[in-house]
Amino acid sequence: MGTLTFEQAYELFREMVIAGDKAGADLIVVETMTDLYEAKAAVLAAKENTSLPVFATMSFEADGRTFTGCTAEAAVRTLEGLGVDAVGLNCSLGPRQLAPLVKEIAACTALPVIVKPNAGLPDPVTGAYDVSPEEFAQDMRLCLENGAAIIGGCCGTKPDYIRALAEMAKDAAVVPHGERAGDGCVCTPTRTVHTDGVRVIGERINPTGKKRFQQALLENDLDYIVDVAVQEMDAGADILDVNVGYPGVDEVAMLPRVVKALQAAVPLPLQLDSSNPEALAAGLRVYNGKAAVNSVNGKEEVLRAILPSVKKYGAAVVGLTLDENGIPDTAQQRLAIARRILDAALAQGIRRADVWIDCLTLTVSAQQQQAEETLRAVQLVHDELGLSTVLGVSNISFGLPMRPLMTQTFLVRAMDKGLNLPIINPNQKEMMDAVAAFRVLSGEDEGSRDYIARFADAQPAAPLKPGASSAMGLQEAVSRGLCAEAVRAAKAALVPGQELALVEDQLIPALDKVGQDYEAGRAFLPQLLGAAQAAEGVFGVIKDSLAKNGGERIRKGRLAIATVQGDIHDIGKNIVRTVLENYGYEVIDLGKDVAPEIICDCAEKENLALVGLSALMTTTLPAMEETVRRLKQLPHPPRVFVGGAVVTADWAEKMGADDYARDARQAVEIARRVLG
Amino acid sequence: MLLRRSLHPKSVWRMLPLNHTDAGEQAGELLLEGASARLMLKDCQAVAVFACTLGADFDRLVRTVQARSMADALLMDCCGSALIEEVCDALQQEILQAVPYSHGTDRFSPGYGDLPLQLQFPIIHLLDAQRKTGIHLTPSGLMNPQKSVTAFIGLSDAPQRARIRGCAYCEMKEHCTIRKGGRTCGMESK
Repeated sequence: MGTLTFEQAYELFREMVIAGDKAGADLIVVETMTDLYEAKAAVLAAKENTSLPVFATMSFEADGRTFTGCTAEAAVRTLEGLGVDAVGLNCSLGPRQLAPLVKEIAACTALPVIVKPNAGLPDPVTGAYDVSPEEFAQDMRLCLENGAAIIGGCCGTKPDYIRALAEMAKDAAVVPHGERAGDGCVCTPTRTVHTDGVRVIGERINPTGKKRFQQALLENDLDYIVDVAVQEMDAGADILDVNVGYPGVDEVAMLPRVVKALQAAVPLPLQLDSSNPEALAAGLRVYNGKAAVNSVNGKEEVLRAILPSVKKYGAAVVGLTLDENGIPDTAQQRLAIARRILDAALAQGIRRADVWIDCLTLTVSAQQQQAEETLRAVQLVHDELGLSTVLGVSNISFGLPMRPLMTQTFLVRAMDKGLNLPIINPNQKEMMDAVAAFRVLSGEDEGSRDYIARFADAQPAAPLKPGASSAMGLQEAVSRGLCAEAVRAAKAALVPGQELALVEDQLIPALDKVGQDYEAGRAFLPQLLGAAQAAEGVFGVIKDSLAKNGGERIRKGRLAIATVQGDIHDIGKNIVRTVLENYGYEVIDLGKDVAPEIICDCAEKENLALVGLSALMTTTLPAMEETVRRLKQLPHPPRVFVGGAVVTADWAEKMGADDYARDARQAVEIARRVLG
Repeated sequence: MLLRRSLHPKSVWRMLPLNHTDAGEQAGELLLEGASARLMLKDCQAVAVFACTLGADFDRLVRTVQARSMADALLMDCCGSALIEEVCDALQQEILQAVPYSHGTDRFSPGYGDLPLQLQFPIIHLLDAQRKTGIHLTPSGLMNPQKSVTAFIGLSDAPQRARIRGCAYCEMKEHCTIRKGGRTCGMESK
């Protein structure tokens, strides 16, 4: 919560639990948490630095979510996975309001459930709480009936409340619960995905065979990776596979960075895909929620290296049915390996529902009989072990024409055999259509609701009016902010090897036209941004072309931008970045709340000629001034421009900045002057 | 509309007794220093202080939308600013109905005029706003989630003059581009 990092929170909790342990504590209680990530840091610190039992409770509102949006189920699944000894809720509301939530929590876990409500709500005029000790004890009966095992009070309760509570509960027994405790799922704080039906795992976050993705990884371009994730989410993926393994990429450092970047923008659970045990452990550590790991296999050493991390961080795990002898030819042999993986996982303390088996798709054009064998293996694992199955489906059609048809047909057959976690490209409509249809036939999509929602408006693509939109030139499409049109026009106009000409002769003039309209008050900021986004689409076309043809990237010059230390507002800075990037400048975005030394280090290391600083609040102007001062003391000081809501030309001059950018448009003018 | 449905704004408020002292306006344990607070509260017998927020959901939504489209994110951010003002309006009405005073001043916040922004820390502490609304302060005193407001309303038995609306009271009046264009942002007439 706030600006504290996960790592800083862990350090603070570590200090506390060690001190508490030394002083003779019997128990560690993590309570009143509203941020699951902070709760995870606290529980990890407790488990890693002491051997004391750990209780964890979070504070939920009446809508069943914490202030940060964390649901009760996601909290329980995550905290139980981390190995707490009891779980529950405290604070926020009175016992009557919390009772339904106790029920929800108790259904998801066999652990003892804790509840410590407030004595109702305080009156804003008098400050007094509105539930008496007797009422409190009476209402707590509801919590006991719903499965609570450990009870107490929070804000507003006093010794007489606890006395009444103890009296009420002295003969009470714990009500059995945990009906859904064995359910398979993965989650983030805001979204829990149950594996009791077909759930699509998106495969696009993977550099294999994707030049543009490889380039993004090598250049640390996390924005590109987040874009891919958002596309997958919009296309309907339920879980995202995340693979960042590529020569020249330090996976141990990269995987956690990508996990954090993805979780900041996308609510979907992630499946961390790596063969590097350290990278997996590092990724799982910073993951907020319950993740999946892809993958282990039947090899002893692999199981030994990876399963302990899976257990420690409470993840689900994909087991590939191969071992020291490779991929077996028969379904029975693959089942045997699946069984071995399951046994190893259970022995490690991993729950049965958290073991997913991948029976491995082989290319049908190379090994035709194996297609049927894979399907048979899926069925065996589903029927005999009752486990979820995963399958990378696309591989089936490699080397054949009309791949979508082949892949779709195989996907449908595999789902019929029991495949519930297909790994596919959700952007391929054929695959998602097949999943939607299958969910109706399997009875999962009740009343065909999702299917109807998906296809009710579907109409055959309207033919383009001759001469109208198809004839729209690149410049017009960009200046009107029509991204799809602009991309189409760019593809038509692009001559390999002449990418730069397209930028200089068409793209930049189109952007300038909107920029001039903006300055003249004929266009407004959303239109300026719309044009920048259309330009972004065009740059995508150009980058693809350059990556394919091995050309040099278009670089108009580099600069860094940052929101200064103490300021957490970054939409303005992000607008400036979007516009600058789409003029072709390479923008190093240092983020928000950035310390002066980080900005100086970057300017020096990257030998930058230009740095931009943003601040929204008057309170952070001194930090801006300090940053400017320190940048100017560098051996090769960059030019510095400043902007943001409270910054004025006077302020800019007073603090020693070289330029003042009133808006994104002026930032472009400054970049032009300094960088060309 | 979509935003209104998907967000769950949170708020907390308290009424505090008011003493006019030489050091400033003493509202319960909060000392409101400076000329702005004095002007606002000079005819008041008590003060309500509140904190409200659109919540972390909104920040998360804007981050996701930023990855999709900066233009959409900008519009959404503006909608959020409008929406939190709406939340404040509703809360102000709720407060004025609940308190034993018939009239209230305009609401005013730390950072308005010479009312110190440092007041954020004791306000959030006094209201227990971290636990009750999920509003956290950064070390520099900024509120997180971003669409959050803390404010005071002076309470009185006598009608209160509107004192702080319009360009004359705006911090940005020297630099405002809308004003230079001969128009106003609309707060004047509200």
